Amino acid sequence: MRTGEAVAGSVVRNATEAWARLAAFGWLFGLALAWIAAIVIAAGSADLLPLPSPTDMDMLARREAPSFAHWLGTDRLGRDMLARLVYGARISLTVAILAPLIGLLIGGALGILAGYFRGGLETLVVGGVDVLLAFPPLVLALAVMAYLGQTLANLTYIIGILSIPAFTRVARAATLSVAKREFILAARAMGATELRILLRELLPNVILPLLAFFLLAVAVTIVVEGALSFLGLGVPPPAPSWGGMIGEGRESLETAPRIAFLPALFMFLTVLSFNIVGDTLRATTDPRQGAA
Amino acid sequence: MSRAVRFGVMLTGILMLALPLLGSGAAQAQKRGGSLTVGLELDIAGFDPLKVGVFDTSANMAAALLFDTLTSLDDKGEAQPKLALSWSHAEDYKTWTFKLRPGVKFHDGTVFDAQAVKFNIDRQKDPKNKCRCAFYIAFLKEVQAPDPLTAIFVLTDPSVNLPKIMAFASSNNVVQSPAAMQGRGDDYNRNPVGTGPFVLKSWTAGDRMVLEKNPNYWNEGRPYLDRVVLRPLPDSQARFASLEAGESDLIWDDEFDSDNILKAKKTPSLSVHQHVGSGASVYAINTKAPPFDDVRVRRALVMALDRPKWSQVLTNGLSRPATNPYGEGSWVKCKDDGALPFDLAKAQALLKDYGKPVKFKMLVTATPRGRANGQVLQQFWKLAGAEMEIEQVDQTAIVTRAFARQFELTPWRIVDLADPDPQMYANFRTGSPVALANYSNPELDRLLDHARVTADPEKRSEDYCAISRLINSEAIWFWGFQNTYYAIAKAKVKGLPKLHNGVIDVSPTWLE
Amino acid sequence: MLGFIATRIGYLIPVLIAVTLLTFLIASLLPGDLAHAMLGDQATPEAVEALRRDMGLDQPLWWRYLNWLVGIVQGDFGRSFRTGEPVLGAILARLPVSLELMLLAEVTALAISIPLAIHCAAHSGGPFDRVVTGIAFAKLSIPNFMAAILLIYLFAVELRWLPATGYVPFAEDGLGNVRAMVLPALTLALAEWPVLMRVLRSDMIAVLQEDYITMARAKGLKSRRILFVHALKPSSLTLITVAGINIGRLIGGAVIVESVFALPGIGRLLLGAIYTRDFMILQGVVLFVAAGFVIVNFLVDMLYAVLDPRIRHAHR
Repeated sequence: MRTGEAVAGSVVRNATEAWARLAAFGWLFGLALAWIAAIVIAAGSADLLPLPSPTDMDMLARREAPSFAHWLGTDRLGRDMLARLVYGARISLTVAILAPLIGLLIGGALGILAGYFRGGLETLVVGGVDVLLAFPPLVLALAVMAYLGQTLANLTYIIGILSIPAFTRVARAATLSVAKREFILAARAMGATELRILLRELLPNVILPLLAFFLLAVAVTIVVEGALSFLGLGVPPPAPSWGGMIGEGRESLETAPRIAFLPALFMFLTVLSFNIVGDTLRATTDPRQGAA
Repeated sequence: MSRAVRFGVMLTGILMLALPLLGSGAAQAQKRGGSLTVGLELDIAGFDPLKVGVFDTSANMAAALLFDTLTSLDDKGEAQPKLALSWSHAEDYKTWTFKLRPGVKFHDGTVFDAQAVKFNIDRQKDPKNKCRCAFYIAFLKEVQAPDPLTAIFVLTDPSVNLPKIMAFASSNNVVQSPAAMQGRGDDYNRNPVGTGPFVLKSWTAGDRMVLEKNPNYWNEGRPYLDRVVLRPLPDSQARFASLEAGESDLIWDDEFDSDNILKAKKTPSLSVHQHVGSGASVYAINTKAPPFDDVRVRRALVMALDRPKWSQVLTNGLSRPATNPYGEGSWVKCKDDGALPFDLAKAQALLKDYGKPVKFKMLVTATPRGRANGQVLQQFWKLAGAEMEIEQVDQTAIVTRAFARQFELTPWRIVDLADPDPQMYANFRTGSPVALANYSNPELDRLLDHARVTADPEKRSEDYCAISRLINSEAIWFWGFQNTYYAIAKAKVKGLPKLHNGVIDVSPTWLE
Repeated sequence: MLGFIATRIGYLIPVLIAVTLLTFLIASLLPGDLAHAMLGDQATPEAVEALRRDMGLDQPLWWRYLNWLVGIVQGDFGRSFRTGEPVLGAILARLPVSLELMLLAEVTALAISIPLAIHCAAHSGGPFDRVVTGIAFAKLSIPNFMAAILLIYLFAVELRWLPATGYVPFAEDGLGNVRAMVLPALTLALAEWPVLMRVLRSDMIAVLQEDYITMARAKGLKSRRILFVHALKPSSLTLITVAGINIGRLIGGAVIVESVFALPGIGRLLLGAIYTRDFMILQGVVLFVAAGFVIVNFLVDMLYAVLDPRIRHAHR
């Protein structure tokens, strides 16, 4: 019984501590986290929710105002807005998380290696990044989607590849500042192999700024995917996407602006939330840049 | 003479001069001068048939201003003289002799004559030039120019309505200056020279094309306008907004922009010009690509189409369902065109009978209109049990892929022409490069051949109706909506002729 | 100083060459069989072979690259497949529109961000600062296309003050030109100002904490004089750099804005080339844009070095 009380007590104490720590970040941070959680849960359980199909057209009920049959109304082709928003969340989030992951893994690795080993490798990597950054990314993404086929896979790959330079830069910068520190020199002096140093000493200290940047990259990816879908070359129709919905809503601005504004609102809140969370984390891991 | 009498004589004289001017009715109501700004859909690539092949709608509109054809169509659809003054044909309709108008000059000062006509056609047909336009005049063996004012068209196959067909301002029919084409080489494409009522003044790609009145036009007194400015505005909202704002005086539009068309119809300061042409928006099925090699699948797709709902969804009900390739605007009238009815249950049954899963890709244009249309069709076929995947490509790519048969299902169009023969023959005759369905049927060929050589319109109508029954039964192509062409203009734009062939010809218009 | 310039040029040349190489590779590898695509219905095997020989497509990749590069250096970017017009001509014809848009956008962005940044820095931590910084942060979450739609809805559909889309050349109608450019430039400016403001603000806050500022205050100099004369100049270095880089990036043609507002600029040229598979135009424009970006960055670096002596005397 005492153990039970002790356990209960410690759970309460841990929860209070965690809550206090979260509260220290600010109520805005909490709201952002809550929104992200809500969107992720809704997107993940989309199939279980009592929603009509996002692609079924109720052809005689186009551009309808919210009603019992359609809680947020219908779009130009008679499809349920709420269903499209939720399924659109699923697609946007899937791309938004997978694509930066590519950037994180490849770009992060390149940046860390460049920042740690310096010399020729670093010049090559930095030069390569500079060259890649000179190209208008949207144009490259459009070209890939137009010529290599408009699929979710291609969309994820090209956005992921385009995010590599940014991750390389962040990883290299973080590595440069960490590699100078004493514990790295100490590890080397003790005879540790480079690989061991990289994995056990460097990586844990570099991972936090990379993770913070990852969240910011998620926000950017939602926007990029939205832009591509807005132009019609993103998520292949009829799969719903917030950007695509905004693009489709453009021709109904005068008659039913809700069709464009609802997905815009969802996208804005989601991007903002990821920005808030990512920026807060970055501020805690890199005080120099926390001037926001 | 007393002062009063002299005054009376003077007054009478003045009245005698003035009355005719006052009393002359509508014929003198056209006001000269002014500039007309036209909002087109697409930017024009150029005018050299060797470079662009076939003119699209926007290029047709510009071509109607820069160039002339040998004939034109009046409001009843009859051929009238233009560059040709008169014509006659041989018994078998395989030879047509045109007498040309004398004293006509191209914008560069060179003379228009039969040799110029021959040069244009020869250049298009020359195999060395590999012109995509050559196919459309494959029926034309050659043009002879025995004297400067006589052009003889020798055809390989009979053509009963040749003069009417030649009125269409297409890349084949417009007469361009041989001297300019030879002299300017690669640059000719963007610097065209014709005999038309307007001369090209300036052309900024993607922005505007400025045409000015041709002071030496052979039709004295025409055109009324001083200037026409053509502006490509691909975005339909932008195009309509420019009309509302007064930046454009006239715009091209189509039924997909139904919200704005309906709005314009209610606006007194705007006039909506509408023309139900023959032909339709159509779809070709590649019968060599499974699952389309099975007629049950093809029939099921067609029977799953609820055209009234389709029209409601996409165009607020403006588009008219088509059940055959001719439409209300054609002189071909069928009591029974063999159209398959909308029957969802039957469609589902057919697919179940087929047994295997039905999955395929359809080409759509990479535009909001193309995507929306594709998604509606996707929905119809999903209800029947078939899975369609949308493949977005550019408009030019559709043409390329169609010709190369790299598709399973593709949209196409049968344009409003005075005679169904050119397109029906091209689209369905075995051996034609545009027989998109990869389908061969001897009976169909026989009917097409027969309709081509028969002169009697009633007999031809029968043939074409039989053709329609065959095509519908085999479901190798199917029809969406009839061609309805629109132009929306400010009410002050007068004199716009009928939108034959879907071409908006602003050359005879004036501004009130 | 000369050594510094030489080093930077030494870095610039290889980057430019790499840019040309990458552009060529992308444009060559993406489309699949180019000759086949161009011929369309006339694509018999003999015709395809003949066209490939004509266009030099049967030559090895490196030969075609060098050929193209030699043409570029002489100013021949090739001709459009679709219209036959020279690529460089097509670019130069659209450049004024994009340039005008870019300059208007940047000037507007600076006009918004500089006063705000100064005021925020001067009253750092106060309510004004918090609100403005919050708004800036929120604006970062509104993408270009969303802002464009919102602006069109507000100013063109609801208020009907400005045209929704379209372009009028300045030579033809000055007022019309300005009216048509307001919404597009504003859309871009709204995207730029948060970053510019944050950069200037944080730099100014740092500068205002420096000793010499405290001394100036102790000497009794007016606040306004301190702000504008003593604090603004040293803080503006990063701002100039960021603004310069932005200008370089905008040369890329603000594809989305030009598309939404139907402006005949470089962005639309690119978009059109992608849709119509006009690879000559695509290749030429991408090269122009990328090389332009690299060169503008280089110039900004030079400018930065001129303004900040510490840079040009530091060793790499």
